[in-house]
Amino acid sequence: MPLIRSTPSNTPPIEEPTEVNLRSSFADSRWAAARAAEHNPDSVAALAEALGCETDMRVREAIFTALARIRTPECVDAVLPYLRSDDASLRTAAIDVLRVVPKSTGARLVELFADPDSDVRLLSCELARSVDGTEAQRLLISLIETDKEPNVCAAAIEVLSEIGDAAALPPLARCQARFPDDPFIAFAVRAASDRLDTPGDRD
Amino acid sequence: MTDKPIAEEDYRRLCDYLYRRTGMSVSESRRYFVGRRIAERMAATGSTSFAGYFGRLRGNLDHELEHFVNAFTVNETYFYREDHQLRCLTSDLLPVRLSVRSAHQPIRIWSMPCSTGEEPYSIAIWLLENWPEVDAHNIEIVGSDIDTAVLASAREGVFSKRSLTRLTPQLTDRYFSQIDADRWQICEELRGSVRFSAANVVERNDTRPHGLFDVIFCRNVLIYFDEASRRVAAENLYENLAPGGFICLGHSESMSRISPLFEVCRFSDAIVYRRPLRGAQ
Repeated sequence: MPLIRSTPSNTPPIEEPTEVNLRSSFADSRWAAARAAEHNPDSVAALAEALGCETDMRVREAIFTALARIRTPECVDAVLPYLRSDDASLRTAAIDVLRVVPKSTGARLVELFADPDSDVRLLSCELARSVDGTEAQRLLISLIETDKEPNVCAAAIEVLSEIGDAAALPPLARCQARFPDDPFIAFAVRAASDRLDTPGDRD
Repeated sequence: MTDKPIAEEDYRRLCDYLYRRTGMSVSESRRYFVGRRIAERMAATGSTSFAGYFGRLRGNLDHELEHFVNAFTVNETYFYREDHQLRCLTSDLLPVRLSVRSAHQPIRIWSMPCSTGEEPYSIAIWLLENWPEVDAHNIEIVGSDIDTAVLASAREGVFSKRSLTRLTPQLTDRYFSQIDADRWQICEELRGSVRFSAANVVERNDTRPHGLFDVIFCRNVLIYFDEASRRVAAENLYENLAPGGFICLGHSESMSRISPLFEVCRFSDAIVYRRPLRGAQ
């Protein structure tokens, strides 16, 4: 039979780089350093600094992952700037980190929802899923009552429909009234209202 | 409460939520099964109403999403599950791997997690039955799981009739011996050729000693994890893939949503992910 059975002793090991350093000129060395940093909460400042100048996508990913594992409030500060990146992978990685630090992220939602960049406000709606439901609903309602960007409101409505309760129904109606010519807002409000207007849905 | 059937609207909301969070689509025909899993989890968490439990699930309190998905998917494994990926293995993945690697090294395939062994044994049977080149290579199959109880079961290789449903009677006769009315044991030759080991996919110290693989099957496990754990798992799997090696996920999973480390490869039988040939250690 061509099937062979190995043993741990005859399995060729994965080679480790000789140097493990976030400032190394070798990407493999920086990758290994970033991966090892996840066990060291004191490494957040070094990871944040490395993230700012790292050019290798693979290493950047490992840095974000280390920050997601360390998950201290300092990690939130380290990744928040990447919410406004033009690179989708950086934005996604930043959101991954922010989601796993819900308390610290929740404390920043007010400023994020007031950000002049509508893309930041839109992405921040996603973060509301992971913070305390009551506070998240309050902030999302405030957003759909005031934000001038229909795309931001649509993102907020979607999240609101999942975490909110019937108290969101009047604000949803007012949001639709603010965008009378936007068929998607009308659709989103209708779908959210149907979902929230069901007895027993409130947790 | 535990025997009360789930209300239609509650069932719809839960299925909707499950689909959005995991990609798992639940048909109306599974309503009783899903209802039982909900009742079990409500009892386990002390929830007195569906609304209260659903709030717990959506908030992922004490990893409730993971617990629910575990309860929901348990006993779902069987031989030749998602066999389109096995077809892809022999029609595309292995030929591609052989075109870029030394022919003298063994082909290494990792089933992670392997549960009670159906997947690694399925890979072995599929290769023996469907790959004309099988005799020209040394092939090493490793099955790993965090659960040592399922590993013991995998090594024993005894399966129920339900696990063998997708195998033809000819394959069952060829590779299994019947123990009693509902139990079959896989042949000693196959049991002796698949190595089983304990490993947690999110523990780098567990995964690295397993070395580099040409193909990894990591199906229906990443959906259990939060974002941080999924990223760690993806990076561990990346390290365990040989440059140019492939990873197969479950049908409801997408590596593109987890990590940009991998290339998407669309073959006629399956979409899989690949560690790039360049830029890897």
